[in-house]
Amino acid sequence: MSSAPGRTACVAAAVLLTALAALAGAASAAAPKRIVALTPFSANTLASIGVKPVAIGQSLGGRERLLPSLRRVRSLPLAHPNGPNMEQLASLRPGLVFSSPTWRKGARTMRSLDIRVVEADPEFGRDIYDSVEEIAGIVNRERAGRRLARRIQSKVSRVTANWKSRPRVMLVLGVGRTPYVFLPNSWGGDLLQRAGARLVTAGAESDSGFARISDEVIVAEDPDIIIGVPHANADDLDGIKRYMQSNETWKLTSAGQNNRIYVSGDDSLLQADIDIAETINSVRTRYLKNR
Amino acid sequence: VLLARRSLVVAGLVVALLAGIGASLALGAIDIPLADVVDVMTGDGQEGPSKQIVLQLRLPRTVDAILVGAALGVAGAMLQGALANPLASPDVIGVTAGAGFGAVLILLAFPGSIALLPVGALVFGLLAATLVFMVAWIGPDGGGVGRLILAGIAIAALFAAGTTGLMTAYPDRVQSAVFFLAGGLVSDGWEEMRVIWPYFAVGFAIALCLIRPLDRLALGDDVAASLGTRPRVIRLTAGASAALLAAASAAIAGLLGFLGLVVPHVVRMAGGTASHGFVVPVSALGGAALLVAGDTLARTAKPPLELPVGPFMVVIGVPMFLWLLRKAV
Repeated sequence: MSSAPGRTACVAAAVLLTALAALAGAASAAAPKRIVALTPFSANTLASIGVKPVAIGQSLGGRERLLPSLRRVRSLPLAHPNGPNMEQLASLRPGLVFSSPTWRKGARTMRSLDIRVVEADPEFGRDIYDSVEEIAGIVNRERAGRRLARRIQSKVSRVTANWKSRPRVMLVLGVGRTPYVFLPNSWGGDLLQRAGARLVTAGAESDSGFARISDEVIVAEDPDIIIGVPHANADDLDGIKRYMQSNETWKLTSAGQNNRIYVSGDDSLLQADIDIAETINSVRTRYLKNR
Repeated sequence: VLLARRSLVVAGLVVALLAGIGASLALGAIDIPLADVVDVMTGDGQEGPSKQIVLQLRLPRTVDAILVGAALGVAGAMLQGALANPLASPDVIGVTAGAGFGAVLILLAFPGSIALLPVGALVFGLLAATLVFMVAWIGPDGGGVGRLILAGIAIAALFAAGTTGLMTAYPDRVQSAVFFLAGGLVSDGWEEMRVIWPYFAVGFAIALCLIRPLDRLALGDDVAASLGTRPRVIRLTAGASAALLAAASAAIAGLLGFLGLVVPHVVRMAGGTASHGFVVPVSALGGAALLVAGDTLARTAKPPLELPVGPFMVVIGVPMFLWLLRKAV
């Protein structure tokens, strides 16, 4: 029979070993080697902290916004409702997929294939730092993640100060030929406000972050600047751009009269990415002209 | 001669279904050698992506296609028989529009609760059918075929307007609803079928029980009543069975109304008989064969993208339908 102190030591050692085993297990589970990033935000975050995914999701936006080190990484075409083709994804044997709410239906299937799925894309600019650190934490690159978050924060604070003017801007999403305005609770709307714009929404509210408003309201609101963001396949973009630039109603507004109708050529106002500071800077320089 | 013709139709459809099942398990975005597929199906396959793909993605999807195709074929046959109307299909009793609204509601307004998608489609599909039957049956002269069809058109328009309203309110999420509205199966394992299968089971069971009463109903309401059949009860029960089958199908595969309309006609024309003892089970076989073939085509036409199966079924089904129609005329 062992003594009481001996038993205590044994129990303590067992607890310690169990804790160490659990930690080791958690660490190995948290850092799978084969990672798929379905969004440009997660792909670029991973690349910036030194992790190369085995594949990257490819949706409407193209690959221009990917960091150079990711340009040769295999793409997985994304389509509704599941996102990636599940057979193609399974054949890559990923342990972890960084996804987004858009592909939530597919996430259930991925989990049934024993793939860990994490939705880490930020909804607004203020969430970007937490999202970067979350992704970095999951792949055991906490320090690199904190450095990246600080770097983005510092760049953002440099480009969001000293507005020379605060123009009234209507940011319009073009789905086909039907325009919807971005509201403050959208990625683009939030970003425009950080760039110094006063967002024109005619008081519309919607959980989705977008609202259809009538042409009459656009004329009545009379924005100083209109920025169109086409949301379409690459082949259809030019047609929608032309339609936006020649919209007769928009020409009646101050924006139209002063040739201040712009059309964004990429999806930086639609989809989160770590180049938020560069996007804000570009919006201020090219559209708002308030630097 | 008629028996030989019917046997030939059944044999042809069984062969088509078996070939479709084989193709559905063997073909996909990832090339897996046929021998490996056979090994996996016979339990000899090695652990790895191939086994996962065949057992967890292709097999459940093939089973989904068989059940949904059979259910829509039976639903169409039941409704066309019960309403004595060649244009009857699950669309007529509002199920398709109701299920579309339920699914779009979840997809657009509550995307965080995507797991409820099949339940939403099922519940609203059945709700729409219930409303149609209530409007058609309550009041003087209730239960007539014309009244049922008009009630169906009105209720379907109501739910279609609701769907359009949702799509207008959530423009940035509309794309997620397009696939469902166009009709398509997805590789998502057994999860949805685990929830939905009882509705298929009850729908098929009721359909089997109604085969003889529907044959009597085909003789006209008066004759059917003289033979001890209650025409209104039979119509209501057949409608309920079709509603269950169509709503359950919509929950799994979106809106595939075309199949329920065309398959029973093709079966009647090919078999040369309108007997429900032939039309109902063979419509199940034909619907399953058509959907399995269409889904395989939709998955393999432009890999790795998966296209909605609805248009593919039309491409396969319409030429066959037109050919038979011309022969019948």
